[in-house]
Amino acid sequence: MYGIPAEHIVEYVAFLCTAGLTLLGGLGTVVARRVFPACLWLLLCLLGIAGLYGLLAGHLLVAMQILIYAGAITVLIIFAVMLLQRATGRILMAENQHLIGGVIAAGFVAVLIMVGALTTQFPQLSDIDQPNGYAGQNVQLIGQLLMTKYLLPFEIISVVLLAALVGAMVLARREPGE
Amino acid sequence: MNPVPLQAWLFVSAILFSMGLFGVMTRRHAVAMLLGIELMLNAANINLAAFSHYLSPGGHLNTILDGQVFVLMIIALAACEVAVGLAIVLRIYRMRGVLNPDDASTMKW
Repeated sequence: MYGIPAEHIVEYVAFLCTAGLTLLGGLGTVVARRVFPACLWLLLCLLGIAGLYGLLAGHLLVAMQILIYAGAITVLIIFAVMLLQRATGRILMAENQHLIGGVIAAGFVAVLIMVGALTTQFPQLSDIDQPNGYAGQNVQLIGQLLMTKYLLPFEIISVVLLAALVGAMVLARREPGE
Repeated sequence: MNPVPLQAWLFVSAILFSMGLFGVMTRRHAVAMLLGIELMLNAANINLAAFSHYLSPGGHLNTILDGQVFVLMIIALAACEVAVGLAIVLRIYRMRGVLNPDDASTMKW
């Protein structure tokens, strides 16, 4: 382990573990042959991302990631998979097609982003502005931001949620003629 | 601040994004494609949270957590997207009896 100070080894190990968990879950999500296990792989990936948010001092994000993503969204997808399995009467399979083209395109995008990340000069925070200094107030500050600076987007999000709720019900409802 | 360099987080998010892209492009099932979209949204979220942790425009106290607010909004939008997407999948299955998006080609010219 060259270049890593000994006192930071814990952070590096924690980062490698959560990042590995996340990427393992992501890989399982896109290569699992059946859809239901793919949903469970996605759950692993989302929990790993919650760990990554924790390492980035995003306490509210950890809670929201677990509650909304790992809780609500995954359960919704699993519900839909079970409904479809019942409707079709067989286990949902999701084969991959055009494997070589997919690998080439996805690898190209990944290399492009990585080269961009390596060649960009990022400005560094000065020591006094480091978020960890007031990590305990993160949740309070986000609440204040949502009620002041981001009040309009916050309210628009609630309208979007309402529209999605009504739209999903209209779409999934059974018409009288069916 | 976390001693892990910013580029490491960007690498994780880039790999996760390309996995999601791979899933969307190669999967032959509408629900599995939605899972790929979720992966891409989460990759973008990791980027936002990492930038908010390592960099802040202007260095003011009230801009440091902007990225985390964006992540919360993307999570809410992702919930909408999944609900409507799954409703559309169920609808298409009921109308056409297909789950592979390639087979739902009525509007293809």
